[in-house]
Amino acid sequence: MSQTTLASLKGVRKRYGRVQALDGFDLAVQRGELLAVLGPNGAGKSTAISLLLGLQGADEGSAELFGHAPQEIDGRRRIGVMMQEVMLPGVMQPRELLQQVASYYPTPYDVDAVIERMSLEGLARRRYGKLSGGQKRQVQFALAICGRPELLFLDEPTVGLDVQAREALWKVVRELKHEGCSIVLTTHYLEEAEALADRVAVMARGRLITSGSVNEIRAHVTRKQVSCVTRLDADAVRTWPEVAQVEMERDRLVMSTRDAEALLKRLLREDPGLTDIEVKRAGLAEAFTELTNESAREAA
Amino acid sequence: MKTAGNMSATRLWSAYFGEMHFELIKSLRTPAFAVPTLFFPIMFYLLFGVFLGSMRGNSAMSQYTFATYGVFGAMGPGLFGFGVSLAIEREQGLLTLKQALPQPPGAYLLARAAMAMLFVAIISILLTLMAVFAGNVPLTFGQAARLFAIDVFGALPFCAIGMFLGALVSGAASPAIVNLIFLPMAFLSGLWLPLQFMPQFLQDIAPVWPAYHLAQMALATVGAPSAGSTAGHVAVLAAVTLGFFLLAMRRMHGSGFRLLGARPKRTLVLVGSGCAAILALALSGVFGGPPATSANGSAVTDSTDAAAGTPAPEAPPGVPAPAAGVISDFDAGSMNTAFGVGWNAVGDDMRGGNSTATQRLVDGGANGSKGALEVNGVIGGAIQYPFAGTMFFPQAPPMEGLMDFSARKTLSFLARGDGKRYMVMVISGLVTDAIPLMYEFEAGSEWREVRLEFAGFVNIDFGRVRAIGIGTMGPVGAFSLQIDDVRLE
Repeated sequence: MSQTTLASLKGVRKRYGRVQALDGFDLAVQRGELLAVLGPNGAGKSTAISLLLGLQGADEGSAELFGHAPQEIDGRRRIGVMMQEVMLPGVMQPRELLQQVASYYPTPYDVDAVIERMSLEGLARRRYGKLSGGQKRQVQFALAICGRPELLFLDEPTVGLDVQAREALWKVVRELKHEGCSIVLTTHYLEEAEALADRVAVMARGRLITSGSVNEIRAHVTRKQVSCVTRLDADAVRTWPEVAQVEMERDRLVMSTRDAEALLKRLLREDPGLTDIEVKRAGLAEAFTELTNESAREAA
Repeated sequence: MKTAGNMSATRLWSAYFGEMHFELIKSLRTPAFAVPTLFFPIMFYLLFGVFLGSMRGNSAMSQYTFATYGVFGAMGPGLFGFGVSLAIEREQGLLTLKQALPQPPGAYLLARAAMAMLFVAIISILLTLMAVFAGNVPLTFGQAARLFAIDVFGALPFCAIGMFLGALVSGAASPAIVNLIFLPMAFLSGLWLPLQFMPQFLQDIAPVWPAYHLAQMALATVGAPSAGSTAGHVAVLAAVTLGFFLLAMRRMHGSGFRLLGARPKRTLVLVGSGCAAILALALSGVFGGPPATSANGSAVTDSTDAAAGTPAPEAPPGVPAPAAGVISDFDAGSMNTAFGVGWNAVGDDMRGGNSTATQRLVDGGANGSKGALEVNGVIGGAIQYPFAGTMFFPQAPPMEGLMDFSARKTLSFLARGDGKRYMVMVISGLVTDAIPLMYEFEAGSEWREVRLEFAGFVNIDFGRVRAIGIGTMGPVGAFSLQIDDVRLE
């Protein structure tokens, strides 16, 4: 199979009334990668995904899924989909739902194998409506993978899951990727992207701001995080030019800064008695905040 | 990997079949859907058709309600299955997910429609069993099969209406709104109470309701009086189906079209041409067999027996005749009568004969009026006293209801025809086998008034009139007669 780009959006614009949801957006999903699409609410993530799934048409630009228009069923037979905020019929059993969805695909997995893989044996014959929120998400994930997809779309897959269930789901995602399945993940949990993604695409206001590996994105960011236990008042510290952001986390003062050295000097000068000092490189969360803020400033 | 997007035909069929299978499971597990749609028509029929009917010794009622509750049963699954479920699933995002998934083209809608038709089939079979075994409704296998087909295919217009509602209203409001359409339409189409018992304006607007047309076809099938032609009813119902389907699609914008499948425009063209083909077949008369108005005589015979078997020695006179002097002028595009059960084409098959008649409205009535009633038929020689023509029953049920015309002095109408001799027949009295009033007239090519002075007839019980017939007792062969402006003054 020579095809390496499985799905793409090129120069896509989409407007809802007065809101420009996508404003010249490009995205290409490569074979074998796990791409996390990040962005604040209203950045256009959902619109971009729904264009790739063929749920809407673009005002301008093109969308392709396996070389077909996404509205054509041929491309969709090779994808799996897990959406947010879908209520499946409560009177059906998860096993029946799996049988039904698997029947849409040319070469699906065996339904019982999927049940076993997702450890749903105990739920498979209960009514879907009687399951907890987390269990429902697990069933929806199983539905997304049951068709043996080459490309999997996961929209906020771990919302409502406890830590164990989330880890279990991550494990299956990694296995699927290992088996050659490509995955597009939209998430609010940056740690999820950090834990799983090969590549991160950051969106804001309908555009792609940047894309790259988690480390590359992190390197964009010059900020560091400094925290310590101090008698200094958070509001006073907030006025310092060395400080970008200040928060209290229980008894610790947590600051983010572009110039950690200067901040450390001033902290020690103002409060010689401070203890428990810690300096961290920014995580994806900070990188993300900075990137989207920057882009907002540019726009302003 | 090259064939990854290709689906074998076997798998495709099993996907369609699976969708129907799971749709059925879902419906059966949803009591709010299954109970009212399945049991209400059956329960109502048992109560109003079988028990009430037998208490009054009235098998015509059992027969009428058998036909109309079948239609009532045909309405529910489509209206609720699409109207309520579609509205809810649209809101819950399930519809969106189904469009993102590679569901085969149109499977969602097909499964819904098939499920509705299956529910209707179950209702129709149960009603038929009850009608035959508990209601003593005389029914041939052919009649039962035709009624079954009318009910099952009759579910489709209500699927389309339901689909439109489901696309329009919110999930929470949908049950109330569907009921607001379902129940009044059932009533106004004469499904619970024959239309003859309703105010005139309700009778006049009845053809507006799709259920009315289905009911007329069902009534004609069981041999009860009905109006209109099969082709006309099928045409109206096909138009309703296509119209509401397109409205629903328009309302759902893109998502509605995507439910149809990968190539929505092509699918729509296919559906459209399918409906057009049905319409064409209906109009050419292939579909429905004989026109609905050629009433089957079995009902009349049966109710006659019922009445004759229970003669009251000092029976009261008939229901006082309503004030209206003009019975029918056939100008409003209907065969309705001012009161009673409208004009019904009758032959003598219930008496073992082979004479038949059909009737239709024609343009160009007497004295320049808009329309007239034309009766065409053939007198066969199978029995000694053949008769074919059209009959007016002043008081439902036909032949059983008695009306008091003793205060009236004349029966008059205008007639023209093929130059043969025709006959007015007034069937009256406590027993149905009494010799009726018979009055001959000739119908030439020009309109001519026929006038009967009641004072000129002796031994005729004008206080208990069962039926007034206009037709012929021979000679053997084809005949054609037009009548207009029938008055009882």
